[in-house]
Amino acid sequence: MENKVLSRYVNELASRVNGVVEESFGVLVLKVQATYIIEALTGAKSFPDVPCDFLHDLCGVDSGDHIEVVYQLSSLHGPQLMRVKATMDRENPVIDSVTRIWEGANYLEREAYDMFGIKFKGHPNLKRIYMWDDFEGYPLRKDYVTEPIEVRNVVRTRIEGE
Amino acid sequence: MSIEKTEELILNMGPQHPSMHGLFRMVVHLAGETVTNIEPKIGYLHRGMEKLAESRTYSQFIPYTDRLDYLASPHNNWAYVQTVEKLMGVEIPERAEYLRVIFGELARIASHQVCIASTALDMAGWSAWSYAFRDRERICDMYEMTAGSRLTVNIMRIGGMSAEPPEEFWPALQSFLDDTPEMLEEYYGIFFGNEIAMGRLKNVGILTKEMAENLSITGPVLRASGVDYDVRKAEPYSIYDRFDFDVPVRTGCDSYDRTIIRMDEIVESIKIIKQAVRDIPGGPIMAKVPKVIKPPVGEVYHRVENPKGELGFYIVSDGTTKPTRLRIRPATFINLQMLPIVAKGWKIQDVVAIFATLDAVLGEVDK
Repeated sequence: MENKVLSRYVNELASRVNGVVEESFGVLVLKVQATYIIEALTGAKSFPDVPCDFLHDLCGVDSGDHIEVVYQLSSLHGPQLMRVKATMDRENPVIDSVTRIWEGANYLEREAYDMFGIKFKGHPNLKRIYMWDDFEGYPLRKDYVTEPIEVRNVVRTRIEGE
Repeated sequence: MSIEKTEELILNMGPQHPSMHGLFRMVVHLAGETVTNIEPKIGYLHRGMEKLAESRTYSQFIPYTDRLDYLASPHNNWAYVQTVEKLMGVEIPERAEYLRVIFGELARIASHQVCIASTALDMAGWSAWSYAFRDRERICDMYEMTAGSRLTVNIMRIGGMSAEPPEEFWPALQSFLDDTPEMLEEYYGIFFGNEIAMGRLKNVGILTKEMAENLSITGPVLRASGVDYDVRKAEPYSIYDRFDFDVPVRTGCDSYDRTIIRMDEIVESIKIIKQAVRDIPGGPIMAKVPKVIKPPVGEVYHRVENPKGELGFYIVSDGTTKPTRLRIRPATFINLQMLPIVAKGWKIQDVVAIFATLDAVLGEVDK
C-alpha cells in the first residue's frame, strides 16, 4: 500500500525531471541527468505522506561509459526507501552540491570527489578527504592504474646487510 | 595601560593521541580555552577497502569487513554477507540466523562496553575502564571458543556461519547473561554515579533533533537526540521481528544521554540473547551455496543496525565473481560530521568527552 503511493509520487516526479523509474529488490530507482538533481531531490524530500527526507548515503559509481552519483534516501518517520541516480559525463563530471538540502552530505561529497573526481558545485569545502592533497588521480575510477605488484615487491625487498 | 588581547591558538590533536580512538587528527582553533572551530582530518588509516573489494571475490572480502569497525566485527560480517545473500536470493538455515543474532548482540554489548569504558578513560576514570574491559574479556573468550580469534572473528559466511559453537560456549554464555545485572550495577555505581564524570557530561555538547536529522546521524547518537529509529524495528532484517525488545530513546541530546543510552541498549541486547538462546532450533548452519559465488547482474543496497549506527553495503554486480562496485556506508564517518558543530563554544577538555561519546572507530571512519 505504502509502496503504491510512493510509486505514484516517484512516477510523477520522474515526468517532471525527465527521469526513468526502475525497480531493484523492491526499491524504486529514479535515474536522472545531473542537471536535474536538485529538483529531483527536493521533490523526493517533499512527497506528501511518504517523504524521503533522510539522506542515507551518497556515493559515486563508475559504470564505464559515464559517472553516476547514487543517493540512498529513506525516512526516519516511515518505511519508505528510494534511490536516485544522477548520470553525468565521464570527462567532466560536474553536479550541484546537495549540502544546502542536507548538511550531512558534506563529507560524503568530499569522498566522492576524492575517489571519482566529481565536482560538486556549491560545496563549502571541496577538498580530498582520505587521500593527501597533492595525490594525483581518482582511485575508484575504472581507468585508474594501480601500481603493479612487482613494483611494490621491489620497494619492499631489503638489500642484504642493510 | 595596554589592552590585553587573546590571540587565536591553533592546536593539533592527534593522530597519535590517547584520546583519539585510533588515528584521528583534529585541528582545534582556540580562543583562550574555548573552542572556536574544529577541522577533523581523517585518512590516516585509509586502506582503500572499496578498491580492494573490486579485485577480490565475494567470499574473499569477508575478512576485510572485520577490519571496518573492529570492536563489533560480527556485525560487519553480518551486514556484508546479508547483502550478498540478498543479491543471490539465498535462504539461510534457521539455526544460523539465531547464531547470527546471538553473536551480533554479543558484539553490540562488547562495543558499548568499550564506548562506556573509553568515555570514562578519556575523562581520566581508569577504574571504570577496567571494570568494563574485564567484562568484555568474557565476550572475547566466547568468540575465541567458536571462531578461534578474539577481535576480528570472521565468523560468518555467505549462506550461514563458519563454525558451530562448542559445548562449553553455552554455559559460558549463560553465566555471562546471569552476571550482567550485577555488571551494569557496577558501571552505574562507578561511572554514572560519579559526580565529576556527570558534571562533565550533563548538558554538554547539545545535538538537537533537527540537527541530527539534517546531518544524517544514525544509531545511538540519533536516539539520544530523541528520534525513535532503529533499523531492527523500522525494517526488520534477519529474524529481528520475532523478538520482543524495546528501542531505548532519550531526549537529553547531550553527552550524558549519548553515553547512558548504551547502557539501556545493553539491557535490550541481553533480552534478545535470552530469547534467542531459548528458541534456537537444531539443524545445519550452512545453506547449500555454490562453491563459486556468482551473483546475477544487478545492484542491491542493504543496511543493518551496527552498535555505532547504520552500516550499509551497496553492491553493483556485473555477473562475474568480483563486484564492479562495492560501497560501504560507514556510520561513524557520517556521525563524525557533528563534532565541529556540536563542540563549538565548549572548552578544550569537553571536546575530548564529546568525541568519546560519538564512539568513533577509525577503522570504520577511514575504511
